[in-house]
Amino acid sequence: MLFACLGASLLACVAAPVVTRTVGRAAGWVSALPLLVAATLAVTARVAAPGSAAEARVPWMPTLGVDLALRLDDLALLFALLVLVVGAAVLGYSARYLGRGRHTSFFVLMTAFATAMLLLVLADDLVVLFVAWEATTLCSFLLIARSGPAGREPAVRTLLVTAAGGLALLAAVALIVVRTGTTRISELLTDPVWTRDPAFATTVAVLLAVAAFTKSAQFPFHAWLPDSMVAITPVSAYLHAAAMVKAGVYLLLRFSPAVSDVPTWRLLLVTGGLVTAVIGAVAALRRHDLKELLAYSTMSQLGLLTALIGVGTPAALTAAVVHTVAHALFKSALFMLVGVVDHEAGTRDIRRLRTMRLSMPVTAVATGTAAASMAGVPLLLGFVSKESMFAAFLDTPGPAWVGATVTGVAVVTAVLTFAYSGRIVFGAFAGRTGRVVREAPVTLWAAPVLCALAGLVLGAAPFLLDPLAAGAASVAAGTPVDVHLVLWHGLTLALGMSVLVFVLGSTVVVTRRRVDRVLAPLRATVSGIAVVDGSRAGLVRLGAVVGGWTGTDAPRRHLAVPVVCVTAIALVGVLGGSPLRPVVGDPSLPLDWLLVALVAGGVLAAVRARTRIAAVVVVGVTGFATALWFFALGAVDVALTQLLVEILTVCVMVLLLRRLPVRFAAERVRRRLPAALLAIAAGTATTLGVWAFTGRREMSAASEYFLRQGEQTTGGANVVNTILVDFRAMDTLGELTVLGVAGVAVAALLHARRPVPVRSARLDDRSPLADPMDNTVFVRTVTRVVGPLIVLLSLLLLVRGHQEPGGGFIAALVGGAGFALLYLAAPSDPAARIRWPYLLLIGCGVVVGTGTGLLGYVDGSFLKPLHGEVFGMYLTTALVFDVGVYLAVVGVVLTAFNLLGRQHRVDGPGGAPAPDEVGAR
Amino acid sequence: MTLAVTAGLLVAGAVYLFLQREMLRVILGFVLLGHAVNLALMAAGGTSRRAAPFGSPEELSAVADPLPQAFVLTAIVIAFSITVFMLVLAVTGREDDTTEDDTTGEVGTGPDRPAGGSDAVPGVGTDPAADGGRR
Repeated sequence: MLFACLGASLLACVAAPVVTRTVGRAAGWVSALPLLVAATLAVTARVAAPGSAAEARVPWMPTLGVDLALRLDDLALLFALLVLVVGAAVLGYSARYLGRGRHTSFFVLMTAFATAMLLLVLADDLVVLFVAWEATTLCSFLLIARSGPAGREPAVRTLLVTAAGGLALLAAVALIVVRTGTTRISELLTDPVWTRDPAFATTVAVLLAVAAFTKSAQFPFHAWLPDSMVAITPVSAYLHAAAMVKAGVYLLLRFSPAVSDVPTWRLLLVTGGLVTAVIGAVAALRRHDLKELLAYSTMSQLGLLTALIGVGTPAALTAAVVHTVAHALFKSALFMLVGVVDHEAGTRDIRRLRTMRLSMPVTAVATGTAAASMAGVPLLLGFVSKESMFAAFLDTPGPAWVGATVTGVAVVTAVLTFAYSGRIVFGAFAGRTGRVVREAPVTLWAAPVLCALAGLVLGAAPFLLDPLAAGAASVAAGTPVDVHLVLWHGLTLALGMSVLVFVLGSTVVVTRRRVDRVLAPLRATVSGIAVVDGSRAGLVRLGAVVGGWTGTDAPRRHLAVPVVCVTAIALVGVLGGSPLRPVVGDPSLPLDWLLVALVAGGVLAAVRARTRIAAVVVVGVTGFATALWFFALGAVDVALTQLLVEILTVCVMVLLLRRLPVRFAAERVRRRLPAALLAIAAGTATTLGVWAFTGRREMSAASEYFLRQGEQTTGGANVVNTILVDFRAMDTLGELTVLGVAGVAVAALLHARRPVPVRSARLDDRSPLADPMDNTVFVRTVTRVVGPLIVLLSLLLLVRGHQEPGGGFIAALVGGAGFALLYLAAPSDPAARIRWPYLLLIGCGVVVGTGTGLLGYVDGSFLKPLHGEVFGMYLTTALVFDVGVYLAVVGVVLTAFNLLGRQHRVDGPGGAPAPDEVGAR
Repeated sequence: MTLAVTAGLLVAGAVYLFLQREMLRVILGFVLLGHAVNLALMAAGGTSRRAAPFGSPEELSAVADPLPQAFVLTAIVIAFSITVFMLVLAVTGREDDTTEDDTTGEVGTGPDRPAGGSDAVPGVGTDPAADGGRR
């Protein structure tokens, strides 16, 4: 039932584009229907489950315990009805208010907004609630932004403020979920942690209050609401009466049972609310634009609601619930009626309306009724809610002066409310001369009149609201609350205050010209909009400053940062390190020092090298020393791989060196010194780190398993190779994919950007070595013999890799070395081209690897190797997988040689002799 | 201890090299860094057991840990492909292999430098044709 309710609303949204295409602006009527259906479904669901709440859920993220859980109690029902009924009224109204045309985005966004609000109030899961909350933020942003160029800035400001509140809500959600261990709202609200841990409750209360304050435009986050007035009237009516701002009220009421005892919560809500109430009311009284006036009045009324929730007594929460309903009715009616006036008269400015005669009896009466409800005139719902509000404020818990002050401020607000309510009516309809404005068609005024009428009916017979108000107040209070709304309370203090408000308010209305003169020069010294804009500009500036620190293209700046950080971490480790465990066995052999010396020599030479070729050669020395190290550590396969990679790296570098200057630029000591110091620091940190972590434990359980069970499980004796192709084949598949991507990236880069040209070498033409053909005789002859042998060796290494040193990686590198030899033996670049489809090889490698993986599904899982005897030979799919590795690696090596060895562009004429590089430039 | 010293030496060299201007030196720095990291990975398996891990040994106390070896093996090949990629970057960028620098007025800061500038220090370059002659 609840999902059907949500679905009906969603249907309106999904169908909106089609409907607007067919019927144009009348889509307003069509879209209103599903919302009314949803409202009926909600009521039915509630009636069907009296006593308890209707619930429905479908799993969403089961591993996180997050469900798409809906729950309909009386509080949710009350807000759902506001959202849906007022939404339907506004949609119906806009069918006539909007000009002819489609207005697709308007109807889609409005119905999406209604759906998001509905999800928000129905959500029984914190995550769902948060998602819906953010959805309303986005919908309101888009609705304001679609009102043209003037709407951009206000829309951005609205988004910034409300999204900041969303972050506060996210923080609250995270805290609550971590602390209570559940995301279900109905469960977590009754968790004992709220009373047991005051610090937690206070933190969450403040975060929730900030979220609600931004959404409900409470001081100091109030700037966006009047600002968002640029949106068209139906949007404002919905935003201010039932949707956006009420989301904040709903959040406060929903969490009230858990945090209402937190003193900070009360203080924040009561002060923030009352300050907003007075600021908004004073500002409203100064406005000439009726819509702007209403916007400030919304702020003010929501301030009263917030303060009531802050007071937190059952009576106050009841008053808040009733006033929410009253406000939704009179505010939506007033917004739409001002829209009617605007629509017919062409203006909504009091000063211009004064020069016209509005002959609009229905609109005038309806405006009067709604404004009277806002002012709290008897027989209207606004009176009932105001009476209960005064009574609740009088009973504010705490010292007597608190109650007195709060009530006093509320009375002042009420007087101001009365005054600006009068200002609306007299401002709009007081003109007696000038152009005559006729009444609008019934289709335009029907919706607001119904809203105003509802206020009158509920005001005259407030007991109709009793069950719903009682239920909602009980949910908000956490305890059963009995509500009997009546028009006549007897001669109470609250009634006395109402009379006082009536008298003072009337006086202000009567003397409104004089009041205007007093108020007009008053201006707020700080504009809220300026504050928002200022903080936004400040944020952008801060970003620029922070970006400036790192916004350099100099790689060494970026590269230095992690080095410094790692060194700092090492320093922290040294200073505050815990005692180390004893070393197991003897980690160093005397012969190791020879390797250390070799590496040290290589590194020192690399650092001091002045020419590029020297640097490449001495870095090669460290590579070979590293290979020896691997060999010394018993890593035969690794040592072989390192050796081959070293050879290939040097070959590739040689291809590139001819395109680069011979020497490095000399740098000043001033610039070399920091690099040297940082290098020494980083080296020391590494030594300490490796020393601290080396050999202080026995062999890991995983390694022990591989050593003991590996051969029986896989049939391979080379444990390292079985790890690569049997046990951790998924890793290897990922790695060969990375390899492939690197190869493709090299190809793409060289396709897109021409490499720098080859520099001419200064050769002595008289030397017998100058001719390339003569020069390469020896290598060519050797290659003729050795080439096939290398290929054979490569295949042998591939096949035997499972049992003995070898495997796909090593075999491919040997093969690659063979190609390198072929390349180097060639007398010229064009002759050296190896016409192999290198990219295809890479692709085949990845495909073979993945295909073998899929084959594993035969025996249960991806990449599981299959074994079997074929004609007496032991075979395993792991070998096929290794072939994939082989192909990918060979492909990458070939890519490098083919693309870097050429002088002409990659996409140049194939097979044609390479043009001279000067010509190619 | 020996392995730790080796890794430290390599890292020191790597850091010094990749804080230089020329892309080739940066790449060589990364090559050294790769060696250092691979050796550190090997160190994670312990350095007191050094027999090659083959077959199903009865006694494990002398056999090297095969798991870091497998990691390092793939790491070497990936480092190779990344090195090739960086080398391509070095030759598709500026002709003189320098990287951007934030200080202006230094030698070789960009293509718009005065025509007389050269990446080789005047008087030291023995091969003017190869160094600046093409410009």
